[in-house]
Amino acid sequence: MSAFVTLRDLTKSFGGFSALSGVSIDIKEGEIFGYIGPNGAGKTTTMKILTGLISSFQGQVTIGGYDLTKNRNEIHKLLGYLPQSVAFQEWRTVNHALLTFGKLSGLTETQLNERIPRTLELLGLGDVRYKKISQLSGGMTQKVGLAQALLHEPKLLVLDEPLGGLDPLSRRQFKDIVLGLAAKGTTVLFSSHILSDVQDVANRIGIISHGKIKKIGTLGELKAQFTQQRTIEVLLSGSSDKWQQLSALNGVSGVTQPQQGVVLVNLEKDTQEDQAINDVVAAVAKLGIRVRGVWLLEPSLDQIYFNYISEAEN
Amino acid sequence: MPTGLLFKDELQGFYKSKVMIFLWVGLPVIALLFRFLSAGSSGQELPFTLISSIVVSSIGGTLAAVMLAVFIINEKNRHVYDLFLIRPIKRQEIIVAKFFAVYVCVAIASAIAVLVGAVTDFATTGVLPATLLSDAAQSLATTLSMIAVSCGAGVLIGVISPSVLVGAILVIYGGNQISVVPLIPELLGLPDAAIYTIALALAFAAALLGLAAELFNRKQF
Repeated sequence: MSAFVTLRDLTKSFGGFSALSGVSIDIKEGEIFGYIGPNGAGKTTTMKILTGLISSFQGQVTIGGYDLTKNRNEIHKLLGYLPQSVAFQEWRTVNHALLTFGKLSGLTETQLNERIPRTLELLGLGDVRYKKISQLSGGMTQKVGLAQALLHEPKLLVLDEPLGGLDPLSRRQFKDIVLGLAAKGTTVLFSSHILSDVQDVANRIGIISHGKIKKIGTLGELKAQFTQQRTIEVLLSGSSDKWQQLSALNGVSGVTQPQQGVVLVNLEKDTQEDQAINDVVAAVAKLGIRVRGVWLLEPSLDQIYFNYISEAEN
Repeated sequence: MPTGLLFKDELQGFYKSKVMIFLWVGLPVIALLFRFLSAGSSGQELPFTLISSIVVSSIGGTLAAVMLAVFIINEKNRHVYDLFLIRPIKRQEIIVAKFFAVYVCVAIASAIAVLVGAVTDFATTGVLPATLLSDAAQSLATTLSMIAVSCGAGVLIGVISPSVLVGAILVIYGGNQISVVPLIPELLGLPDAAIYTIALALAFAAALLGLAAELFNRKQF
């Protein structure tokens, strides 16, 4: 599938500070692209360039076949955007905000009459339709922000830290909505500091640090490229010191007990993982240790992220 | 089309945030206060129509410039415009709509204040001299053209100022004073000076608004 969004060599400086340096990303149609990085890494700058809020930059942005510098209006017809801190004029009610933004996005009265209640129901905002946005909580305001981004059914949804301030139920709901939109063909660029949220929804993930892309890939690809100590975790039932004997197994480089009831078996570089698990299970059975669980520890997105960010820091 | 929509939207905002009430009631009330003060301090009582015209011309421009500058700086700094700028509209339409919304509101407030003055004069004296009416109308026309310049200055200051405080200072320093530029034909005593004043004011306001629009277009949000 061809790329719906193409960023090529994006470079942007603010004064002497280099916010982006040669950032290139391709996002396929219907894909959810998770964009992660520490504060000041360049995520918001990338999104602001993509949405046309920052128009002075080097590089090229193409969305749906349109060049951003030449066809900004065409691109804006395809775009839905939820900024990191969404803000509305204080006098606006939820309904009035959606009417205005819907009309500006080209929706007719008939479309608005049908879509506003539907979108509000989808986001659990039906009860606050005629309330002033300034009277709503931060989480509710964030949902109104998402409503204005979804109302015109954009082809590309750009979400900058969209889950801030949302309760766990709303986060789940939010992620389900994003997954549902992507299933219907909407392309989503989604940034977050909350790595597990990105992990839950993203087809591919990009890690940015100091304005440079450190890695792009699926979670599986990032894990495969991430070189860390492979470890088998064994959960013990009851206390026993016999676990220390596991260090004598072939292919095992060391055994540690980080806390009571948990044993970590570190494998040598060339040890075959499945065989090692079989050997550990057989050994603990032979030692008479009662076991509650045995599994290979996989690096979490947190570990992968911190690894790449640490490399960049160093 | 988006300019009309945004203009209507701004007016609805002024209505809902009570800005209109404060303008449309406030300006005539201030004129009334001036009338009572002037009646108490001097032996000769000035016609209320004249007092209203003086109040409108002295306050209207500053009010318009401050309103526009503060609205734009506040909304710019809160990133309210982000959701407008990512839609298929021209950037300058946002501030052009705001200019006309504030101008129309202040112009209506000014007209109401002068009208209240004329009605009050008629109610208290039973007569309304034609010269007074014509003077008031000419004064109102001149004032409205000066308010247009103040609105242009307010928009420009709103676009370039980093904070509300800086914006307020700039409006006080120059935003209001600049609105007297169109009065040059009157000061020079040219024949038909009022027409030149209005034409000059409209051209000056358009130039200020055009400059503000260009800077807003180039702005990085």
